[in-house]
Amino acid sequence: MVLDEKDRKTWEELGDFFRGKSMWMMHFCTGCGAIELPPAMTSRFDMERIGMGPMATPRQSDVLLVTGYLSAKTLRRVIYSYEQMLNPKYVIGFGSCTLNGGVYYDSYSTINKLDNYIPVDVFVAGCMPRPEAVMNAFKDLMDKIKAGTANGWKKYQENKEWYEENQKLALGEVDVKDEFHE
Amino acid sequence: MNYMGFIIGFGLLLFAFAWQVSLDGIQRKITARIHKRFGPPWYQTFLDIFKAMSKEPISHGWIYDFGVMMALGGTMATLIFMPVAGIISFDNMDNFFVITYLLAIGSLGMAMSAVGSGNPWASIGVMRALTQMVGYELPFIITVMTIIFGFKTSSISTIAHLQQGGFLYWNMFRFPLGGIVAFVSLMGMLGKKPFDTPIAPAEIASGPLVEYGGKHLAMLILQHEFSTFIEVSLFVNLFLGGGPTIIAFLTKYFLVYTLTTMIATAVGRFKIDDLIKFYYKVPLAMAVVQALVVVFTGLGVTIWF
Amino acid sequence: MNSMNKIIEDIKSKYNVLNIEQPTKQQVSFDFESRDIHAILAYLKSIGWNQLTFLTCVDFIDDKEFQLVFILMNWETGITIQVRTRLDREKPLFKTIVPIFPGAKFYERDVHEFFGVEFEGNEDSKKGLFLELWDDIPPMRKDFDPQKYSDKKYAKRDYNVDFKKEGEER
Repeated sequence: MVLDEKDRKTWEELGDFFRGKSMWMMHFCTGCGAIELPPAMTSRFDMERIGMGPMATPRQSDVLLVTGYLSAKTLRRVIYSYEQMLNPKYVIGFGSCTLNGGVYYDSYSTINKLDNYIPVDVFVAGCMPRPEAVMNAFKDLMDKIKAGTANGWKKYQENKEWYEENQKLALGEVDVKDEFHE
Repeated sequence: MNYMGFIIGFGLLLFAFAWQVSLDGIQRKITARIHKRFGPPWYQTFLDIFKAMSKEPISHGWIYDFGVMMALGGTMATLIFMPVAGIISFDNMDNFFVITYLLAIGSLGMAMSAVGSGNPWASIGVMRALTQMVGYELPFIITVMTIIFGFKTSSISTIAHLQQGGFLYWNMFRFPLGGIVAFVSLMGMLGKKPFDTPIAPAEIASGPLVEYGGKHLAMLILQHEFSTFIEVSLFVNLFLGGGPTIIAFLTKYFLVYTLTTMIATAVGRFKIDDLIKFYYKVPLAMAVVQALVVVFTGLGVTIWF
Repeated sequence: MNSMNKIIEDIKSKYNVLNIEQPTKQQVSFDFESRDIHAILAYLKSIGWNQLTFLTCVDFIDDKEFQLVFILMNWETGITIQVRTRLDREKPLFKTIVPIFPGAKFYERDVHEFFGVEFEGNEDSKKGLFLELWDDIPPMRKDFDPQKYSDKKYAKRDYNVDFKKEGEER
């Protein structure tokens, strides 16, 4: 499935222009990558100057940052949060852990390939990536959005069965009740 | 029918949108400069609003949808009655009580919609917002009542007109205690930093706004910008002499709003119970002293210099 | 270390101690028979070791035994005592210590989840704590192969491995 940029209507192009200039990220920090975000947010690299800012809830945010390794239990929460976000939504995977498992490649509880479970628009390599790399990833994502090629959310809608199958294989069941969140 | 009034009112809405939203971007820039950052461009808030408008909506029931529209509509209706630099949409309708009552529709709509979303954080946020309202309204109303008692009118444009003739005639300097109280209450109304308990993002996940996204969030941002315009204009009209010209009015507006932002960057956040205790101690006492002075001596209304 | 020697002598005189280790000045480890443990914990709690810092398990697969380790702390003298005991690995069964230390409730769930030790009398210990919907033998046992489980459960990415250690297959 290829979603071409020529498919876009005029108003979609206009929407993509605004989406590329103003990205609110969800502050869901899963691993060690969370420590790269304070320098990216504060005076040193100042994420706000390119229109990004942290938002408190999934409903308000556009970008989901998966910062580091994901245990199977966390993946379940990431999927909950991702599905709560409103379309169009984007995902950035940080570090080698989201790419191939990183140093946790043989762990019994850590997933190895994030884009099997939710669509990822941009990956940042490194363990951990420096804030420069993180800022570069944000810039890349903005360019992709403006060009209309950041279509992970459309992919997720169209291949829902495939993603759900993968999620079931790794997690057993996606919707579970645990005693702390009843 | 007075069609002119509707045209002026509509123009006022457009002007308030352009002015307040770009001013919001400038305030973000000022905050960034105080933090030694570069900050977003001045038009960033426009981009944010249009971006939020371009997202797909989600609904949690008709109360959730209706409350948002009620909040935005109520606030826009209030704004039409606000005199800006002597420009009034509907003559003899710019009464303080009209504004106060209409402004409540906006907050009630938001409260209704937020509770309708069913998220417990939203209920906590609404509870905090209403508690905070109880805190700042009492000192503010006592101060404004003092002015209304002194000038024997509740028309905002008349009160603004009576302060002409130099800055010493401004109510800020005629009633200094009342002016300070009104400024502290203004910060509470705007929800600026020491008084931003209702939307504490790190504590209660942005409070009433927790379930909003996309178009609903954009409408609530607009509602916030319009009510900010109403509140700051009210302060400028009542305490800084309004403005003979639009330039003077906007300069005063800018200075007041920037001062609240600069205070907000430098302080932390009150707990909700500390906030109520604060409002009911210092500003309430000052407001009562000011009222007693005006009622028993007439100082301030008859100028003392 | 007056109070240290005193507690060692005290324990020795009252219970059947299999082994004593003293790694640092403020720490001491005792090994006991598993049937003595409850009496010892109750006694230690009554003379000041009233904090159960940790309860964990060690898998001695070659001896076919599990070792339960209870770490107790005394806030007045600052002495940490490790109480250790061995269980049969084939049928790991132990009586719960929740009546003595109520805080052990979660540690027992933890140990049950990761090692499969059953705690009699603590029905909660069978509930899951960290692993949701676990479908294999308890993962901290030495005969559990994490690499195999990971390969079975989590998809891998195909990529060229640039650098390999000598003799490594992966």
